[in-house]
Amino acid sequence: MSILINKNTKVLVLGITGKSGKLQTEIMKRYGTNIVAGVTPGKEGKEVEGVPVYDFVEEAVNKHDINAAISFVPPPYAKDSCIEVIENNITFLVLTTEQIPEHDVVEIMKYAENKGTRILGPGSAGLISPGKCKLGVHPPNMYKEGHIGVISKSGALSYEVGKTLTENGIGQSTVVAIGGGPYWGLTQLNIIKSFQEDDETKMIVLLGEIGGTMEEDAAKFIKEKVNKPVIALIVGKSAPKGKSLGHAGAIIEGNLGTAESKINALREAGVYIAKNHMDIVEQIRKIEGK
Amino acid sequence: MRLYEFQGKEIFKKYGIPVQSGFLIHKNDEVKNLTPPLVLKSQLLVGGRGKAGGIKIWDGNTDALRIINELFSLKIKGEKVRAILALEKVDILREIYLSITFNRSKSTPVLIIGTSGGMDIEESVRLNKEKIHFVEIDPFLEILEYQIRFVAKKLNIDNYLEFKNIIRAVYKIFKEYDATLVEINPLAITPGGFIAIDSKVNLDDQSYFRHEELFNKLREEKQFIQGKKYVHASKTKEDTITYVPLSGNIGVISDGAGTGLFTLDLINEYGGKVADFCEMGGITNSEVMLKSLKMVASNQSVKSILVVLIGGFNRMDDMAEGIIKFKKELKNDVPIFIRMCGTKEEIGKELMKKANIPVYDNLNVAVEKAVKKAMEN
Repeated sequence: MSILINKNTKVLVLGITGKSGKLQTEIMKRYGTNIVAGVTPGKEGKEVEGVPVYDFVEEAVNKHDINAAISFVPPPYAKDSCIEVIENNITFLVLTTEQIPEHDVVEIMKYAENKGTRILGPGSAGLISPGKCKLGVHPPNMYKEGHIGVISKSGALSYEVGKTLTENGIGQSTVVAIGGGPYWGLTQLNIIKSFQEDDETKMIVLLGEIGGTMEEDAAKFIKEKVNKPVIALIVGKSAPKGKSLGHAGAIIEGNLGTAESKINALREAGVYIAKNHMDIVEQIRKIEGK
Repeated sequence: MRLYEFQGKEIFKKYGIPVQSGFLIHKNDEVKNLTPPLVLKSQLLVGGRGKAGGIKIWDGNTDALRIINELFSLKIKGEKVRAILALEKVDILREIYLSITFNRSKSTPVLIIGTSGGMDIEESVRLNKEKIHFVEIDPFLEILEYQIRFVAKKLNIDNYLEFKNIIRAVYKIFKEYDATLVEINPLAITPGGFIAIDSKVNLDDQSYFRHEELFNKLREEKQFIQGKKYVHASKTKEDTITYVPLSGNIGVISDGAGTGLFTLDLINEYGGKVADFCEMGGITNSEVMLKSLKMVASNQSVKSILVVLIGGFNRMDDMAEGIIKFKKELKNDVPIFIRMCGTKEEIGKELMKKANIPVYDNLNVAVEKAVKKAMEN
């Protein structure tokens, strides 16, 4: 098994005719993801990489068996299209769109919560279960099948660590990027819980960064409920205080959100704190007894 | 976009929230026929102006112009005073803190009230938790009557109807202006009823597409106060660049915040010091790459540039195009170390090879080289 996606995932792509939507559909499809339909209003009847395009989500669900969606829709239309997905009972959505107005994000999240739809994002790079399915923008050559579950806020950092693991012969069960915040649907805690329950995942790598208290919440959960080894890398240790360095969520304000507080909480929960990406590799080898 | 007090109060007035009557004095305005007493408030975007002497009361016994000129000579937290809001003085019986913002970790709007308002709200929250109350708001149900009754009771409000109207108005502004914060601190109870003594309103720049005219007008007002020439905001999002100047000698450009932060840590590990940090955002193009290189290279203290690219959304062919353009356009001899991998990396690397610009695949190697070079120079 893997988490959230697998070989039976049947995907709808929102915003499939846009620049990113088109390219990423091509890459996902080549990887083997089962993309069954796409939606872009006004583009019905077209095809992208052999995938039929519809005007409405409802039309796509009526014609195809769909159990997951990924959205590349630009910010002004993001809320509308997310609600359409939720209304049509697709229960898992990867929302890659960044810069969605906060009022819209809050409404999307509330609506999803009410209807039981899980959203990965906003601003998520998606996830990949090597050899099974890729629902997102992770560069395929940086991953291989295996037993390490990786959870990251940042997309790019999850590529970086995936690349390092793969180059060192260590495969992954699923690699998930939840987005840089400050809003999140699925959290580190949600993903860690899934990894704990997943038979295929033997170890968990947590890639956190400064800002907020999500790592602290995850630490509490790990301490109480996780018996698989967890290795964490917290980035932003040398970042200046009070300045947002890209991710809206990655900001140290006062004593809140420092790398130190996260590292302490995780260490206290029995998590190994890696110095850098190479240290993750070494620690995995140590645990595996190689 | 953070609004000035007077801008927030204009909005309050429009939504029926009582404010003091008054007028704005610009620097170099000819001021005459003032009637005491007046409260003279520097218009600034930074907080803490009261403590820094940015608010004065003119009781008529001294020269008003002297006080005004004194205020105009102030610079608070780096911001010069260029406008003063002159307001009628009111008798205050009691002060309340009131705001609506987002609780981001719970993805919900939240109404925050405090039984005492004033300058040190953050401090009083820390010291006295029972003085402050949080009420979560469902964005679809909006603020409910019982929630208002609840806070009114906590605050011992006599005039419930007037209070309710103010809370409803604050929520309406929050929603209709796409605000991320609407704060009245303090909301004063006076013999004549409630008065919003101050305003703090932050608008969400990400919602520009649905408030173009309004946001342009507010921005124009702000730029007038700041003495800047008015620049119309572009229709599209300007760009996604985050630029943070630091004090070392290595320029860092990344195409993701997570790897950017990680690279800072790695440079630190290798004993290097970062001069500036430039994060392009995960979805970018060759123009942004070019602009970022120009920004970082223009920093005189930069001795080597480290470009860390790992593309998911971001395409390496686009990035290569931007880097090559930079090399051609600018005869800049600052050494550049590029790590390139990810989406369309074959094409990107091919382009770089043709242009005779070396790229690295391994991050450590690129970091080590950039640090070493910066130390040499």
